[in-house]
Amino acid sequence: MTQSTSHNSHSAPATGPTSRLVGILAEFSTPDQLVDACDQARQAGIRRMDAYSPFPVHGIDPAIGITRTRLPFLVLAVGLSGLFVAMGLQYAVNATDSIGPFPGYPFLISGKPLFSLPANIPVTFEVIVLSSAFATFLGSLALNGLPKFANPLHRIPRFRKATNNGFFLMIEAEDPNYNPRTIRNQLEQWGAQSLEEVHLDLTDHKLPSFVRMVFVLLLAVCTLPPAILYRSLGESNTVPRLHFNPDMDWQYKSQAQQVAPNIAVGDEEERPMFRDLRAMRGEVAGTVIRGQLREDRSFYTGIASDAAGQAANAGGPGHYVSTPNTQDETPAEPNWLTQFPSNEKFAVDEQTMRRGKQRFDIYCAVCHGTTGEGNGMVNQRALTLNALGRASWVNAKSLHDYTVVDQPVGRIYDTITNGRGSMGPYRSQITPEDRWAIVLYVKALQDSLVDAVAEDEEGNWVPVRTTPPAPVTEADPTAADATPTEAETTEDSGGQN
Amino acid sequence: MATTIDEVYNNTWDDPRERSPLITGGLDYGQVTTTVTAIAESPAPPRAWYVLMAISLCLVGMLGTLLLHLILSGVGVWGNNNPTFWGWPIVNFVFWVGIGHAGTLISAILFLFRQNWRTSINRAAEAMTIFAVVCAGLFPGVHIGRVWVAYWLFPIPTEHLAMWPNFRSPLLWDVFAVGTYATVSTLFWYMGMLPDLATFRDRATNKWKRMIYGILSLGWTGSARAWHRYEMAYTILAALATPLVLSVHTIVSFDFAVSQVPGWHTTIFPPYFVAGAIFSGFAMVITLLVPARALFNLQHLITMRHLENMCKIIVATGLMVGFAYTIEFFVAWYSGVKTETQTFVMRAFGPYWWAYWTMFTCNVFIPQLFWFKKVRTTPWAMVIICIFVNIGMWFERFVITVTSLCRDFLPSSWWYFRPTYVDIGMFIGSFGLFMTLFLLFCRFLPVVAMAEVKSIMPHEHDHEEDHH
Repeated sequence: MTQSTSHNSHSAPATGPTSRLVGILAEFSTPDQLVDACDQARQAGIRRMDAYSPFPVHGIDPAIGITRTRLPFLVLAVGLSGLFVAMGLQYAVNATDSIGPFPGYPFLISGKPLFSLPANIPVTFEVIVLSSAFATFLGSLALNGLPKFANPLHRIPRFRKATNNGFFLMIEAEDPNYNPRTIRNQLEQWGAQSLEEVHLDLTDHKLPSFVRMVFVLLLAVCTLPPAILYRSLGESNTVPRLHFNPDMDWQYKSQAQQVAPNIAVGDEEERPMFRDLRAMRGEVAGTVIRGQLREDRSFYTGIASDAAGQAANAGGPGHYVSTPNTQDETPAEPNWLTQFPSNEKFAVDEQTMRRGKQRFDIYCAVCHGTTGEGNGMVNQRALTLNALGRASWVNAKSLHDYTVVDQPVGRIYDTITNGRGSMGPYRSQITPEDRWAIVLYVKALQDSLVDAVAEDEEGNWVPVRTTPPAPVTEADPTAADATPTEAETTEDSGGQN
Repeated sequence: MATTIDEVYNNTWDDPRERSPLITGGLDYGQVTTTVTAIAESPAPPRAWYVLMAISLCLVGMLGTLLLHLILSGVGVWGNNNPTFWGWPIVNFVFWVGIGHAGTLISAILFLFRQNWRTSINRAAEAMTIFAVVCAGLFPGVHIGRVWVAYWLFPIPTEHLAMWPNFRSPLLWDVFAVGTYATVSTLFWYMGMLPDLATFRDRATNKWKRMIYGILSLGWTGSARAWHRYEMAYTILAALATPLVLSVHTIVSFDFAVSQVPGWHTTIFPPYFVAGAIFSGFAMVITLLVPARALFNLQHLITMRHLENMCKIIVATGLMVGFAYTIEFFVAWYSGVKTETQTFVMRAFGPYWWAYWTMFTCNVFIPQLFWFKKVRTTPWAMVIICIFVNIGMWFERFVITVTSLCRDFLPSSWWYFRPTYVDIGMFIGSFGLFMTLFLLFCRFLPVVAMAEVKSIMPHEHDHEEDHH
């Protein structure tokens, strides 16, 4: 037990500069005595006091003069912000396209609205409860000034009973009504069993200043690994990302054009998985790839159906005829479609025409020119290089050339599909319905140069072109001369390939 | 000095003239403290503790090995397969989450209803809750397959993923519900434990113990101002935890009820799941506390009245669960939906009849024994019945999960689910984890909320000297 040394000083340090008097601690044997003593102290005008007990003592709050805590309001405020945060998060994440620098992820499920309150209530509720619980816990700790590990009360052995079966009252020395001469008598009158002065030891060594620095540094270092992780996993990158886990990045699989894997077990001889040694498998005979059933042959080939059927059969399932584009072989001219096909995918109307123009301007105009006169930008540039002897470009055909004007629509379609002469095939770039749309637009372009219609000798009305377009055969040499440096630079930069 | 009533008193009978005391044995404040702290302060725990700990650690080792096997090989090592994509892991998850409901119910709902008898059992029940939630969280955690990307469950902003969780999915609600429940339960438990940790700190004789308990108790002194805010905070936490505890199993039931699977798509699930959770949770509390009170001499604090009250709650919730089972059949018939009707007939009389009737017997018939006071006040009988209840509750989740999925809308995919040794081993291993945590808790933390027990002790008024 600590001896109760009698210090007579006021607020001045009692035992020299090494300690400071905090207050006087009185022990009581029952909670009721404690409440009585608190009441009496309060009546004696003492305000700066606190009681310590192993459990909350009923009726002590008014006796000490404890006012109701503001904690509930704090929790309410945090809970309400939890409501807005949760709602906002769900809205931003699932109903918008971007949240600041991050992309959003609108889920469209069965055509339901992107933000529907009932489905967002559970998460909102949980976030409110979670944030309120943290506010309650941390708020009560903060209001109580916890954690507080350095407390002069913990230096008093007797005070350890406060968490077991002791009831204590401490009156602070700083209270204006604290009278060091009379306080002991007063407390004894109020039923105190033992009295002890509480001193704050001023000689206590505080933490050296560098400890805090080291702590902050360590904390900063600790944030590095998660930061690196976040950066490497969370950002788009042009080089392969760090692999913390190989995951599915390397899989047991064969890629196209590879040899079939060896599936020999143990000492077995080499045994390829497929007899033809190819890892890539072709179509199974008699099957059709999903979406590749092309029943309407003429729509996909541009050849009238009777002939198209035979031609398609020759090409195997799922393929359509490709016309040879070599000159020395002259097979019989197919029976080209002369009328536009009409089905659910294609119809001659304004919308198709617009689509045709748009596709034409993307795929065709670069060589054939936007008006189809064979003077597209690529063509002009190539002819310039031709003139300088740096390219061997075959002029793009003018679509107003009579040989083209007279072609049936099926033939033009076939040209787009399979290419012709030096023009490459566009079957993998342009869908069949878009090819037909382009044909429609080409026909319209051609008709745009018709000046009149006249009756021919058989009595049919035919278009008459008074200004047949002059096909561009040679580049204007002056144009090439005008920009020699430009041509030179382009050639130089490209010439390294 | 306040003391509790003598031990000869049988506090399971109610005398209308006076309240039955909640704790017995003639203990005063100091003796309450020593009774509880003796467990942690004794130089060595009882031999049974070591035996149980050894068994539990073996099971934890098995669980760890199987987890490693699972993570390295993939979820194919379980019996889950088309169409039963949810097998034992989800059954175990719901089982453990259900058990985890009693703790918060006892500490929060009974607190708000001023049921003072809760004070002796709430600490252990809350600890049990947290450990059960740990076991529960394990199963969906590894069920996702690629555990190393488990962070995808949370709304973490990334540029490269360009992906966010779907906030309208019950599975995501589950992440939030179980995550919040685990966090709030832990806060509630820790908050309640602060004064008792301070008691441990003040009684510690060894420097390390004093330091560890000192840090854990955050410098608690028991000041009246601190108690005032503490009581307010505890009440608020209880008020928050009460709807939370009801919401958690409701949301777990949404995992099933929001889907279209026959046998799952039913609105009775939320109340039925919550009742079942309380039922199984109380059964687990009794299963743990009856041996624990004998092992650690807590009979005066956890009295027969406490156990009897819990038995009464078990019989009440057991009847609710039985009512739900019956109503399910009625609704299936009344709905007029063929698949629904067929599913329920199949549950009771199909290939899984044995699981259904195990569930029904354990959950509805056996707890009826608690109508007899003799059974309600015999500890060994309670434990046996409660073990049956927990078996029955596991089978309830099995019946719901597996029988519905095995007979989905596509008859060609119907099959008979069989677990693998990994399924069984992980379930048994989760008991090892649960027991290990609980045994550690018993040994190192205050098993009974001393401060709360002291506050409800009969309070003799002033200036009377001890007369015992």
